[in-house]
Amino acid sequence: MGMRWIRWMHRHGMKQWVVPGAIIASIWVRWAVGMGSYSGYNTPPMYGDYEAQRHWMELTIHLPIRQWYTYDLQYWGLDYPPLTAYVSWLCGFVGSRINPTWFALDSSRGIETPDSAIFMRSTVVALDALIYIPALLMFTRTWQATHSKRTQNFVLLTLLLQPALLLVDFGHFQYNSVMLGFTLLAMNFFAKGQDVLGAIFFVLSLGFKQMALYYAPAIGSYLVGKCIYLGFLSGGRLFIRLGLVTSLTFILLFLPFLPPFAPFPAIFDPITRIFPFNRGLFEDKVANFWCASNVAFKWKHWASPDILVKLSAGLTAIGFLPSVVGLIQGSWKTRLAATHKDAAPPVTPTLPLLPFALLTSSMSFFLFSFQVHEKTILVPLLPITLILSGSSPESSAFAWCVLANNVGVFSMWPLLKRDGLAVPYIATLALWNRLIGYNPRRLQKKSFVQLFSIAVYVACMTLHILELLIAPPSRYPDIFPVLNVLISTPVFVLVWLWSIKCGVETGWALGGLPGSSHAVKANPSDSTTMNHEWKGSGGDQVDGLRRDMSVRAVSLGFSQARRRGSYRPASAGPEVR
Amino acid sequence: MMAQPPHASTSREIYPHEEDSNEWSSRFSWLKWDLTPSEWDILLVSTCIKLLLFPAYRSTDFEVHRNWLAITHSLPLSQWYYDTTSEWTLDYPPFFAYFEKLLSVPAALIDPQIVKLENLNYDTWSVIAYQRTTVILTELVLGAVLVKFIRGAAEPSTQRIISASLFLHPGFLIVDHIHFQYNGFMFGILLWSILMARDGKKLASGVLFAVLLNFKHIYMYLAPAYFVYLLRSFCMSPQGEALPIRFLSLANAVIAIFILSLGPFILMGQLPQLASRLFPFKRGLNHAYWAPNAWALVTAADRVLLRYVRRAGFDIPVNSSGVASTSRGLVGDTVFAVIPNIKPSYTFIITMAFQAIFLVKLWRTPTYKSFLTSLTLCGYVSFMFGWHVHEKAVLLVLVPLSLLAAENHAYFRTFLLASCAGVFSLFPLLFTPAETFVKIVYSAIWAFFVFNPLNRKVYWFPTSLPLVILDFLEKLYLLGFPLLQLFVTIFPLLTHSSFVTRSEPPPCTIPFVCPEPKPIKSLGDLEFLPLMLTSVYCAVGLVWAFLRLSIIYLKEQY
Repeated sequence: MGMRWIRWMHRHGMKQWVVPGAIIASIWVRWAVGMGSYSGYNTPPMYGDYEAQRHWMELTIHLPIRQWYTYDLQYWGLDYPPLTAYVSWLCGFVGSRINPTWFALDSSRGIETPDSAIFMRSTVVALDALIYIPALLMFTRTWQATHSKRTQNFVLLTLLLQPALLLVDFGHFQYNSVMLGFTLLAMNFFAKGQDVLGAIFFVLSLGFKQMALYYAPAIGSYLVGKCIYLGFLSGGRLFIRLGLVTSLTFILLFLPFLPPFAPFPAIFDPITRIFPFNRGLFEDKVANFWCASNVAFKWKHWASPDILVKLSAGLTAIGFLPSVVGLIQGSWKTRLAATHKDAAPPVTPTLPLLPFALLTSSMSFFLFSFQVHEKTILVPLLPITLILSGSSPESSAFAWCVLANNVGVFSMWPLLKRDGLAVPYIATLALWNRLIGYNPRRLQKKSFVQLFSIAVYVACMTLHILELLIAPPSRYPDIFPVLNVLISTPVFVLVWLWSIKCGVETGWALGGLPGSSHAVKANPSDSTTMNHEWKGSGGDQVDGLRRDMSVRAVSLGFSQARRRGSYRPASAGPEVR
Repeated sequence: MMAQPPHASTSREIYPHEEDSNEWSSRFSWLKWDLTPSEWDILLVSTCIKLLLFPAYRSTDFEVHRNWLAITHSLPLSQWYYDTTSEWTLDYPPFFAYFEKLLSVPAALIDPQIVKLENLNYDTWSVIAYQRTTVILTELVLGAVLVKFIRGAAEPSTQRIISASLFLHPGFLIVDHIHFQYNGFMFGILLWSILMARDGKKLASGVLFAVLLNFKHIYMYLAPAYFVYLLRSFCMSPQGEALPIRFLSLANAVIAIFILSLGPFILMGQLPQLASRLFPFKRGLNHAYWAPNAWALVTAADRVLLRYVRRAGFDIPVNSSGVASTSRGLVGDTVFAVIPNIKPSYTFIITMAFQAIFLVKLWRTPTYKSFLTSLTLCGYVSFMFGWHVHEKAVLLVLVPLSLLAAENHAYFRTFLLASCAGVFSLFPLLFTPAETFVKIVYSAIWAFFVFNPLNRKVYWFPTSLPLVILDFLEKLYLLGFPLLQLFVTIFPLLTHSSFVTRSEPPPCTIPFVCPEPKPIKSLGDLEFLPLMLTSVYCAVGLVWAFLRLSIIYLKEQY
C-alpha cells in the first residue's frame, strides 16, 4: 500500500510532499495511539511505567542531583542513566511551568488528570519527532542512498509506522525512541565516515537507557575493526580519538556524580540502580531462552543466582561472538595496504555487516542475558526493521524480518492487554502489514520461511482465539502468557541464527569487495570465484564511494533475491531459508 | 453491469438455470467483493484510524444512543415513544428505532448491562467498543455505495478521489467516530438513492429516500428537490405528459414504506405523540453554538450594532432582554437587541422562497446533474435560513456538494470554500485538547490530499480583473483559517479560562432533540469570543459559497 500511495503522489504531482505527508501522518498516528490508556492507568498504589516516568520528572525538578538516585527507591526510584534524568528534568521543568500541580513533589503521585496525561503524551511525541524521526530520515538518505527516491521514501514510511515502537512508546508509555534514535544516528554517522560523531551519539544512547548496551559489542567491534582497517598509523590515531571522546562524553554525562562535584562513592548510586543484578533472572514472562526453558527446567532450583548471572553472561557472550568476530575479521581481510592509506575511502568495507552484527548482538542479549523485559524486544527490532526496510518483498530477509516484527509485537501481547491496548494492537499491526504489502502466502512458495511463518501465525491466532473464548484454568493461571513465550521464543532464536548466517555471508562477500582491489591482491587466499563475479558485474567502472554504497545496500537485504542465483553457490554453507 | 452473452436467447431455452444464476448474480452484484487494491487500502486505513479513535472523547450522543438501545430492547413497542427514564428520549423516526432494536440484540449478548434501562451513563469498555464498532460497520453502506459510484462514473479516476474523500471525510470522523452518531450510515442511504437516480432507476431512488426519511427526518430538507425531480422526470414524459401508472407505483411504494415504519404507531394511535417527539417547536433561532449560517451573521451584526448604538448614543429602542441574551452568546434562545426579532414563520417563508427558485429551474431541466445541484441547494437553503439549525447539519450540504466537486473549476472552488468552512465549523464539537490535535491534523491532511489532485484536474486561470480579485479574496479567506485556529487555541490560554470551558459538559447537540441548555453561571463576556468568531468566519465562507453555487446553478445550461 505504501508504494501505491507514493506512486499516486507522484502521478498527481505531489512528490515533494511525500516525506512531509508521511511524517505528519505518522505523528497523527502516534498521537492517536496515545489516546488510549497507558501502563498502570488507574491502578493505585504503584501504577506503571507512565507513573515512573512522570515521577522522575517530579523528583528531578524538586531534588538536588545527588538525591536523584537515592530518593524513596521503593516508589519508582530512578533506574535509568543520567541522560534520562536530564531529559526528565527538562520535561518536568516545562510541564511545571504550565501547571505546577502536575509535578508537585510527592503530592502529585498517581496524578492522572487529562491535562497532565496530554502533556506527558506530547513530550513523547515531541522527543520522537526531534530525535527518532530525523534519524530515520537521515538513515534513508545515507544507508539507502543508492536507491531511488521512491524506495527511500517507502523505507521511511515502513520505519515510521513500525507497530512495536508505536505501541510501547505511545501506547504503553516509554521513551525508547530517544535511545533508538541516538543509536540510529550513530549508525548514520558511521555510514558517513564520521566515526567520532557516531561514537558520541552511541554514548548518548547508552546514557539514555542502558539497554543500548545490547548494541555495544557490535558497535565497539565495528569501531575497533575500522581502526584495524585503516592500518597501524591512522587506525591508531582514530583509536585514541575514539577512546578520548567516548570517555569524555561519559564523564560529562556522569559529571554531577563525580569527585569535584560529589564525593567519590556517589558514582555508585546511579551505577547500582542502572544494573540491578539483585533482581531475578527474568521478570514476568518474556520470550527469551531463560523463561522458555524455565517451563521444563526450573533454573532457580538448580543454581544459585550468582551462577545464573555468570551462566547468562557466558551464553550472551557466546551469542554475540559471531558478530564481533565477523566485524574484526572482515576489517582484517580488507585492511588497507600501507601505501594506500592516504586515499582511504571514508567508509569502511565492514559497514554492510553492521546491521546484522547489531541484530546478532542485541538478539543474543535479549535471549540470554539477565533481567530482560518483554519490551526490550524493541532493541533487536530496530536492526531487524532496518534490514527489512530495504529488502525486496520476495527476499527471505523480508520474510524473516516481518515475521520477527509481528511476533515481536505478539510477544508483548500480555503486556499490551494489561495496558488496555488491545484495539491499537490490532490496528497498528494491520496498518503496518498492509503498508509494507506483506502477505505470508505470497512469500517464496514452499520455502522454509514461508511455511514457518504460516505455522507461527496460525499458532498466534489460535492462542488469541483461545484466550478470548476460554478462561485460563485455575491450576495454570499463566497458561496463556507461557504459551505466548513458547511460540515467540523459537522465532527469536531462529532470527538470531539467521542473522549470524547473513553476517557470515556478507562477510564472505567482503573478501571480494571491489572498493579495494588492492586489498584483494593482499589476500589472494580469498575465494577467487567471487572476485571474478563482482568484477564482472562492472564494479570497477564506478567510483569508490558509489561502490561502497552499493555494498551497503546489499547488507540491507535488497539484493538478496537478485544475487541469489549467481552468488549463493559460491558462499559456503547450506542455505537456511 | 453484466454483459449479456450473445446467445442469451438460446441459452435460456437450453440452460434455464444458468440464466437464473446470471440474473441472481446481477441482482445481488451489491454483494460482490470486487474491490481494487487501492480501495482495500482505503478501507483498511480508515478502519484502523477509527479503531484507534475508540477511546476518544464521546459526547452525550453516545449515551443517547445507548439509552435508545435500552429502550428498544427492554420496552414493548408501545412504550418506545413514551419512555422518559432518561432525559435522552427517543426522537428519531421509527426505522431508526427498529435499527436500534436490531443493534440491541447482539449488545445484550455481549453485555446485558448495555440494554438495561436504568443503567444511565453506562460507559464501560464493552459498550464503548460495541457502539463504536456498530458505527464502523454500518458505515460500510456508505463505502459500498461510493464504490458503486466509481464503477459507473464517466470519469472513474476523478470519481475515485471524490469517493475516497467522502469515505474519509473529516466530518464523518468528527461527528460519527468521535462525537458519536450514525451519519455515515444515513448518508450511505442518501448516496445510494442519488446513485439510483444517476443510473436511471428513479423508482428505487424515491423508495430509498422514503426509507431514509424514516431513519432520520432531518433529510426532509432535501425532500422538495426529490419531489419535483421524481414528479417531473419519472411521473411525466419529457414532453410533459403525465404518466399516472408511474405516479401510482411511486406513490404506492412510498406509502408502503411509511406504513411499514409508522404503521404500528398509527394502529396504537400514537401518531400525535410521535410527532411531538419528532418536531419539538420550542427552540430558539440559533442553536447553542451558532451554526455558521445567515442567522449567525445577523446575530453578529446585531451585536455590533448594539455596541455602536450604545457608543453613539442614538435614541433607538433597544430590547433589553436582547442585550442580556446576546452578550452571553451560549444561550438557546436568541433575542435581538436592535434588529427586529426573527419568528419561525419568517425563516420558513425565506427557506421556501429560495427553494422555489431552484425548484423551478429543476422543473425545467430535470437532468441528473441538475437534480444533484438543486438537491444540494435545497439542503443549503435550509441550513442557511432554517430555524434552530445545528452545525452538524452542514454535512447535508457538504456530502452532495462533494459529488459535484470536479464538474469544473467553479464548482470545485465552491466545494473548496464550503468544505473548509464547513469542516472548520465542526471543530467546536470537540473541545478536549487531545482531540483538538486529532481533528486539526486529520482535516488538514484530508484537505491537502483531496483538494490538490482535484484542483489539478479542473484548474482554470481567472480571465478578467473581477475574477482575479475574487480569486485573491477567496485565497485570502482560506488563509484566514490557520490564523483563526491559532487564535482559538491561544485565546483561552491567555485569558486563563480554559479550565472552565473544559470542565463543562458539551452544549446539547442533537438535532431537534435536546432540551435547551441551562444558562451557565458567571462566565466572562469574552468567554465565547472564539466560538463566535469561528461561527461568524465560517458563516461568511458558507454564505459566499451558497451564493456562488446558486449563481452557477441558475446560469448553467443543461
